[in-house]
Amino acid sequence: MSATLLYIEDDREIGSFVCRHMQEQGYEVNWVMSGEQALEAAAGCKLVILDIMLPGLDGFTVGQRLKKAAPDIPILMLSARTSIDDKLQGLQFADDYLTKPFHPDELTARIEVLLRRTGARNSEPLAIKHLLVHEQQNLVENQDTGEEITLTGKQFHIFSYLLRHLGQIMTKEQIYESVWGESYIEGDKTLMVHIRYLREKIERNPAAPEIIETVRGIGYRIRA
Amino acid sequence: MSKLKQWRSRRIKFRQTLLSRYLLIILFAFLFIPIIFPLASIIYIILNQQSNNHDTDYLKYGSTSALTAMLYEEAAKLDESAAPQIDRKLNELKEQYPDASFFWVDASGTTRLQLPQQKKLPQHWTPADAIQFMKDHVDSDPFTVVAFIGPNKAGPAFIVLQVPRSITRQATPVGSGTPFYIAFLFIMFAFFVLLSLLFFRHIRKRLLQLQIAMTIQGEDGLPVPIKWHKEDEIGQLEAAFNDMVSQLRESKERERAEEELRKSLIANLSHDLRTPLTVMNSHLYSLRNESLSAAGQAAVKQMELKIASVGSLMENLLSYTLMTSGRYPLKLEQHDVLRLVRESAAAWYPLWEQEGIDADIDLKAEKLLWNVDKEGFRRVLDNLFQNVVRHAASGQYIRISTGEHHSRTALVISDRGGGLNTSSSSKGAGIGLAIVDYLIHEMQLDWQTDSSESGMRITIFPK
Repeated sequence: MSATLLYIEDDREIGSFVCRHMQEQGYEVNWVMSGEQALEAAAGCKLVILDIMLPGLDGFTVGQRLKKAAPDIPILMLSARTSIDDKLQGLQFADDYLTKPFHPDELTARIEVLLRRTGARNSEPLAIKHLLVHEQQNLVENQDTGEEITLTGKQFHIFSYLLRHLGQIMTKEQIYESVWGESYIEGDKTLMVHIRYLREKIERNPAAPEIIETVRGIGYRIRA
Repeated sequence: MSKLKQWRSRRIKFRQTLLSRYLLIILFAFLFIPIIFPLASIIYIILNQQSNNHDTDYLKYGSTSALTAMLYEEAAKLDESAAPQIDRKLNELKEQYPDASFFWVDASGTTRLQLPQQKKLPQHWTPADAIQFMKDHVDSDPFTVVAFIGPNKAGPAFIVLQVPRSITRQATPVGSGTPFYIAFLFIMFAFFVLLSLLFFRHIRKRLLQLQIAMTIQGEDGLPVPIKWHKEDEIGQLEAAFNDMVSQLRESKERERAEEELRKSLIANLSHDLRTPLTVMNSHLYSLRNESLSAAGQAAVKQMELKIASVGSLMENLLSYTLMTSGRYPLKLEQHDVLRLVRESAAAWYPLWEQEGIDADIDLKAEKLLWNVDKEGFRRVLDNLFQNVVRHAASGQYIRISTGEHHSRTALVISDRGGGLNTSSSSKGAGIGLAIVDYLIHEMQLDWQTDSSESGMRITIFPK
């Protein structure tokens, strides 16, 4: 669990609080107060939490430079700037954008999602209900029986897409476009068919699915 | 700016103006009849004069009529019976007119003195010979004059004078200069027409160039300044146009700078207000982990909610300020709004679950394409959904569906809260709904709210 986070924040009160909070969650936090320091401290961290309003180099510049130097390290913008322009500008390079005031639990949840998405925490298998998912090995294990579940390519894609967005509801369009790489055509039943087969393989009772939940009228989700 | 003033203050000299050139042409036109005609005539006369002087060299014996008159006069003075007197006279005349030839015939029809001797002449003249001679020499070369001798001018003796036509005729006949005169006038007229034509063609060409240049747009959508050629009226027009373009550019630049300033002011303000809220929030979070009584926990929870609501109120307030001052540009494009609704609902769903709100989403499968700004439409949905969470959570229900409004597909969001009249525990929805109203109208949509005690129903439809 001891992933190192680089945290760039010039407000001492917020900084010390977030530091303490993240340490309580089991992370190591490297907190710096300026963009210049951040560029030096970036080596070895798993994720960057970045403020925008900084003395000297602003957060946008720092973020872009960090992303250029290490494209694999996810960046979460944590800023009091809420305008859509700022968000859009931030999300050009950042992986997520959280506005202040934020709930500490939300910050933790988002960091976990980012780390999982980028594979930084994939070494540990993910337990969902009766399943144990080893993402790096593309392996799904049924803990009830101890058997390995074989999924087809598309089924695994759908499953891992939902896992990457654990707890989030994804619409049919989003899933289809991510997995098939082409735009969704209204009324296309392909995705439904694939999900039905996927459920038959992973659910205890495919008629009352527990893992892949249908959110009526919106899409699907795997609850954390 | 200094360049502008330079343009404005530049006064053109009169001789550089198009007006002066036009006046010159008009003047030329006016002077055509009173000046060019007399001028042409004078030139013609002078030229004629010169060529006449030249001609007199040729007419050394005077004109044919003068010769005729001279011979008649001399013949009248003679007596036809005095042959020696006539011979002497002929010799005198021969001396006077060396190029002419003379002879005379006496009353008996005999040819007498010939100066010089001519072979063809009959020695003795019959009436037929005389008639033949006359016929032969009418309008022929040499020019021939026959004069009866004696004061009566009745014959029968006569003198004949013959001069080669080359001596009596002018090389250039009278009136031979008239075609030149006409040609000169014509050339002058053609010159005038050409001058006017060139003048107007030049103006027209430059005006057309100006018109083309004015329609060219630069990268910023403003016209491009024109290359500035001459210091005349069109040149001034070009300069004025350039002047206008740079004023436009300046004002656009100023507007942009103002917009930037306002945006950054609001961003800074937002930042400065949010930072203390964040600090308060973090302290509250720490407090929650302390051992507190149930009432204490409830108070902490309440404060957290208030902080969240102040945060979103601030966000709405600042956004609204930006929007109403026209600093929130919308990019209207065709979007499937149902897809946007689904995505937005997906984001809100966890919160609804948390609040115990039952979400009933019943949207058509087909696309619903409206001309909207993606972010703007999301914002509308966010504000409406947030409103339901804040003010209608008691109904524990939200329904998002497609319906009909005037036989067109509309988006309907309804809840089972107490409608608008309930005194909600968290007021301050006004600004959020003002944003919704502003955005909806900006996106060429309209909306309608039906509020009753059983809940509120919001219908969004294209105008």
